Amino acid sequence: MAKTIIMPHSVKIKRRLHISRKLSILTTFSTLVLAFGVSGIFFAMIGLNPLDVYSYMVGVYTSPTLLLKALERAIPIGLAALGLSIAFRMNFWNIGAEGQMYMGMFASTGIVLLHAYYDLIPDYLVLLLMILASFVTGGLWCGLPAFLKAKMRVNEILTTLMMNYVAMYFVDFLIYGPWRDPKGYGFPLSIPFPEYAKLTMIFGEFAYSGLLLLCIAVALAVVILRYTKLGFELKIVGEGIDIARYAGIRITKVITLGGILSGGIAGLGGLAIVSGIIGRLRPRASPGYGYTAIIVILLSALNPWLVVPVSIFFGGIFVAGDILQATLKIPGAAVEMHQALIFLFIVVGEFLKRYKITITREVVR
Amino acid sequence: MSIEWIEQVLQLTVQMGTVYLLASLGEIYAERSGVLNLGLEGMMLMGAATSFMFTLAYGHLSAILTSIIVGALMGLILSILVVDMKLNQVVVGLAMTMLGAGLSGFFTFPEVRKNLLLRLNPSLPEEVLLIQQAQKLPEIQIPLLSNIPVIGKMFFSHNLLVYFSFILSIAMWFILFKTRIGLTIRSVGENPSMADSLGVNVYMVRRMTVILSGVFASLAGAYFFIGFHPFWREGVTAGRGFIALALVILATWSPMRAILGAYLFGGVETFQYRLQLFGLGAQSPYFLAMLPYILTIMTLIIISTESIKKRIGAPASLGIPYAREE
Repeated sequence: MAKTIIMPHSVKIKRRLHISRKLSILTTFSTLVLAFGVSGIFFAMIGLNPLDVYSYMVGVYTSPTLLLKALERAIPIGLAALGLSIAFRMNFWNIGAEGQMYMGMFASTGIVLLHAYYDLIPDYLVLLLMILASFVTGGLWCGLPAFLKAKMRVNEILTTLMMNYVAMYFVDFLIYGPWRDPKGYGFPLSIPFPEYAKLTMIFGEFAYSGLLLLCIAVALAVVILRYTKLGFELKIVGEGIDIARYAGIRITKVITLGGILSGGIAGLGGLAIVSGIIGRLRPRASPGYGYTAIIVILLSALNPWLVVPVSIFFGGIFVAGDILQATLKIPGAAVEMHQALIFLFIVVGEFLKRYKITITREVVR
Repeated sequence: MSIEWIEQVLQLTVQMGTVYLLASLGEIYAERSGVLNLGLEGMMLMGAATSFMFTLAYGHLSAILTSIIVGALMGLILSILVVDMKLNQVVVGLAMTMLGAGLSGFFTFPEVRKNLLLRLNPSLPEEVLLIQQAQKLPEIQIPLLSNIPVIGKMFFSHNLLVYFSFILSIAMWFILFKTRIGLTIRSVGENPSMADSLGVNVYMVRRMTVILSGVFASLAGAYFFIGFHPFWREGVTAGRGFIALALVILATWSPMRAILGAYLFGGVETFQYRLQLFGLGAQSPYFLAMLPYILTIMTLIIISTESIKKRIGAPASLGIPYAREE
């Protein structure tokens, strides 16, 4: 349209063609600072000195024991986020990491019980089978919506979200019913896992073995995304299903496989919770790690390497929440509020990164 | 199972269903105009928390009015982010849910709540400041009609918001399908660029429907708290916002079908608790709790088949931000 429009003093929002790395890092940091600032206002509103709160938060990352705790929490968050890095790459909006983690917990506990109740599995195979089972079960839990999306274009946002609740109630059913520890005084807990079914068996401390697991998963995600045919095809599907179809890619196969990988890695996150952090299964074992993972992967800009530090940062926020609750009597919901603010500011930051807002005196086109 | 038992179950079914009905009505409008509001749960929690605080401070009327204002504000924020800034609706919606959960938990935490209540109304007596429950909305029995056996209690013995939601859903169905305003909203959701070229202000329509969905979600939360279950705890709505989201799909974006779906979900949930009381099937509550989600997934699959999609499929531009091409 070759029209000439003259508008004095107009605000123009223009898409940036190139986003420099400097701008990107700068925006991310300022959004984090802003989020802390706004939380600070809320803390001040309830009569606390925000600086006190911040110093407790920073304290988590400087104390070795607390940092280890943060690292423990970071493992399930990071694994779920890595799973999402694959799904989001192919523009598959998997918000079901939470449910996929619950399925991972279900599968790994199932293996332990098969071993403990029926003696079907030798000791040395238990952990290996738990890893496999949680990957496969989590994978299938995401593979189904992926298949439905590929085959019939069923909206994956809604199916993955709904399946979170199905998985959560399924685990509730098991743990309040047939899987309850007969010697557990009626508490909704499974039997405690034997030592060889715990991830701590490798280095003694779960934080270390977990970090190893996380790093292996990062390497796996990088290799799949960068160096395999599937990774390449995933990216093209992400550009648009029609484009991918013209390129001769078998859409159903690629999306379903991508979904299985994505859910499978999140399923390992479930394994990390029961076999690493808790050591048994209990209901509602994840305090929303699957949703935190969405923030983590967006903040990492889908880059698997960045997932490790970013999820340690978020693990620290969870730990800080516990400490603030105990010391300053700050409500536990502060963690959620703080996360949500970071989340919102990151998203707005993305907008500011992508667009340039200029005020011009005259626009001639 | 006596008559009274059946009457009570039916009454609770409608009262429970009203939570879902109110929340889904606004969401239907937002989705019909092309915007997915995933922040429903957070907005409900904000409504519930607001109604809790204001019922304690100034009574029911102030509670309902303030929760409407809070809902409108949440809707306004969401609309700025997804309509004007064109940010991803899924991400922003989840962030809003988290924010609502966080803020509502934060400001109702006993220590915090005490100070806030004193600031709202300094003349409140000491014992009100820390109680975990509020007064329930009074039930209004319609004379004669509420005495009809079996169905009398189901339809004619509720608080005002229940009657209001029922009338409102019929009115909102009428507006959506029989008036020009409704046609405009639906055209914006189906083909925004076409609507734009016909002179419709797409952004304004979407802003309004998103704010409306915030108002209804918050009102649903307020109803849930002061009209149904006035005992506060953190995260009191317990994922019901997502059930309401599911209901919108089950009702295939029609306020009329939402009435049926809402009472179906309400019935399922009522049964869940009643069966537990009877000790019938200790395992069944968990499977009943899954039912709304499973039904929704099945509905999603059915409406995605080609032949049905044409008649009652999702609004074509649902979830896609509209950017005007210049």
